[in-house]
Amino acid sequence: MSAAARHPDVPATATASPTGAVGRVFATERRKLTAQLSTRLLAVVCLAGPFAFAGILKVQSGTPSDSLLGVYVHSSGFAIPLVVLAFAGSWGFPLVAGVLCGDMFSSEDRYGTWKTVLTRSCTRGELFAGKLLAAMTFMTALVALVAVASVLAGVLLVGGQSLVGLGGALISPGHALALVLLSFLICLPAVLAYTSLAVLLSVATRNGIIGVIGPIMVALATQLIDLIGKGVIVHMLMVGSAFNAWTGLLTTTRPFFGPLIVSIGVSLAWIAASVAAAWRLVRSRDFAGTAVGARVGWVAPVRTVAIVVAVIAALALATDLGPVGITRARLTASMAPEFNQVTLLQQQLIGRAVPPDATFYIKPNCFKRAAVSVGPGDWTCTMNVFLPRPGRVAFERSPVDYDVSVASNGCYKAQSPPAFIGGQTMPDARGRSVVNPLYIVYGCFNVL
Amino acid sequence: MQALRARGLVKRYESTLAVDGVDLAMPAGEVRGLLGPNGAGKTTLLRMLFGLVRPDDGAIELLGRPLNAPFSIPLEGTGGFVEEPCFYPYLSGRANLELLAQLDGVDPGAVVDELLARVDLHGRAADRVSGYSTGMRQRLGIAAALLRSPRLLLLDEPTSGLDPVGARAVAELVRELSAQGVAVLLSSHLIGELENVCDAYTFLRHGRVVWDGSADRLAAEAPASAFTLHTSDDDRAAAIAAAHRGVRAGRSPRGALAVAVGPEGLDGFSLALGQAGVAIRRLELLVSPLESMFFALTADTEATLHELGPHELAERALAKA
Repeated sequence: MSAAARHPDVPATATASPTGAVGRVFATERRKLTAQLSTRLLAVVCLAGPFAFAGILKVQSGTPSDSLLGVYVHSSGFAIPLVVLAFAGSWGFPLVAGVLCGDMFSSEDRYGTWKTVLTRSCTRGELFAGKLLAAMTFMTALVALVAVASVLAGVLLVGGQSLVGLGGALISPGHALALVLLSFLICLPAVLAYTSLAVLLSVATRNGIIGVIGPIMVALATQLIDLIGKGVIVHMLMVGSAFNAWTGLLTTTRPFFGPLIVSIGVSLAWIAASVAAAWRLVRSRDFAGTAVGARVGWVAPVRTVAIVVAVIAALALATDLGPVGITRARLTASMAPEFNQVTLLQQQLIGRAVPPDATFYIKPNCFKRAAVSVGPGDWTCTMNVFLPRPGRVAFERSPVDYDVSVASNGCYKAQSPPAFIGGQTMPDARGRSVVNPLYIVYGCFNVL
Repeated sequence: MQALRARGLVKRYESTLAVDGVDLAMPAGEVRGLLGPNGAGKTTLLRMLFGLVRPDDGAIELLGRPLNAPFSIPLEGTGGFVEEPCFYPYLSGRANLELLAQLDGVDPGAVVDELLARVDLHGRAADRVSGYSTGMRQRLGIAAALLRSPRLLLLDEPTSGLDPVGARAVAELVRELSAQGVAVLLSSHLIGELENVCDAYTFLRHGRVVWDGSADRLAAEAPASAFTLHTSDDDRAAAIAAAHRGVRAGRSPRGALAVAVGPEGLDGFSLALGQAGVAIRRLELLVSPLESMFFALTADTEATLHELGPHELAERALAKA
């Protein structure tokens, strides 16, 4: 070893990068992330997953009809990205956030590299900011990848046909594409909220396992909490509430934006709180000792898990708090125009002339299969259609019963027995088999 | 300007006082050995100097700039590592250095190759660090410490895991850097490796500085050194040692004669052996002045150097023999 080659009075920083310290940290994190197998696998899954999903659907007749607009996956390519988005919002994005970011900070503990990076020419704040920026950027890129891949998969494998929206009206391909991309964009704050949560878990527990599975566990808890309680407050405050916010835009006949604005605000609050808590921990920490899992032990992870469980339990107990989101009046008010719209659409499909402003006289009667008709769960709606007829009695009442499954976010799937309105598919005016829009009716209403 | 100045550093971990009022000052170009037994507070002190651990009290200046952890860590010009160097195992040695250079804002271009060659890792630079031996990681750590041309180097056990050739190369590197004005703080318990490298020493014990001074002062103040002595008549030599003031003799487990004697007593003792007709065939240094000082200062007793008598020091040196 010789020190003669470089004199210390000649600073190596003479060739320093002009970028700031945060930018330098970001660049190193980008390099580390791209070098990791897990990141590459995530990118492959995000890119190939939608194509695989669309490809599997193409070779079979079944549909994911429990998912919003799932029954239309064979009739419009734009239904594919929306079904992918619904799944990704429930499970996919929290999982990706955990795998990508849940070990970003704790891996420095595992490898003992905190002391390596903290003794370079950057402060703790710059290091934290650079890492966080890398996490957010990679997650945004993966969301974009899913969006583009799912749109391409839908359009290429199914086609760019018009989409039946949540209000029952046909949405033109161009409009549908814009709405799909906007829907992914709306979910981005929630994705970043899960990313921040993964970062917080990684910092707080110093345990990669908890950092990785933590977000998906929170997503699971969110799914369970969404099944219970009548109040809107807790449901809107959940970390992933913005994953449902796009549905207001797809309800093209009566779009609503209240939940969208509130849930994006909630996501931003989650991001701020998680980042602030993580930074507080990093800032105040003593980096003593080399290591890693064995030294840190399970005290911090167990404590963190206990706190998370306690918070989830408290939220579960508080789900009745606040105004009731799912009411008989709201469901009824949504079902009537929705049913009118899809009935007109069905008439158009079978080749009947329908005036642009035609309406049926419909009186829905909805009630929940429980003591009180409020809250998410299983409802029954009888659509009383009064059809005009000649003679002394001007209208003939024609009732159609629907089993309606209503979620806490105000979205529902209504399905009628085939005896009333026919099967899932029907022949159109040209004899082609098309989706019967009355078989399953999807809709959403504003719960605020 | 001092390269390093620490005043009144205190760090407590729960009920343990790890560092207790440590003062430290190093001018540019000085190589200082930081010595002490396990748990003396060396690593905690280094962690505080790097800003990894916040002192409960005291102040630190690195290259004239105060260290205000944790918000601002002005480590520009300061390099090194504490405990074993750690790297990302899924990246190659070269990629790790490039990454650290990037963090420092240094163009990794030629610097990385030059440093890899300097630490004899250029042949394995493309291999993942997960496949590196302890010594190779140590060498990579030294390369990482030199990435930004430091003016102050803080090295914790830099020769740990290195073979003798590697350890000697590190010692030569440290001397060369010192000649170029780099101050180097070497923490080690391998006393022999520090002996010919350091200009000054700081001994820690129970978190406190128990001795601090130049190598010359240490040589003057060190208690008796110990030697193994091979003579034409070891029994007679032992008897002469027993009768000679300031010399203590004993037998090592392998039966060799060992003597503990201060610098001033060695001349008289060898003359006495010669006058008695006992030829000295070989004299090997068993315990150096630095080692004897270490034993004296870090013994499990509350007594300080000046409270220990020469016989007690000699006994300790002989105990090692």
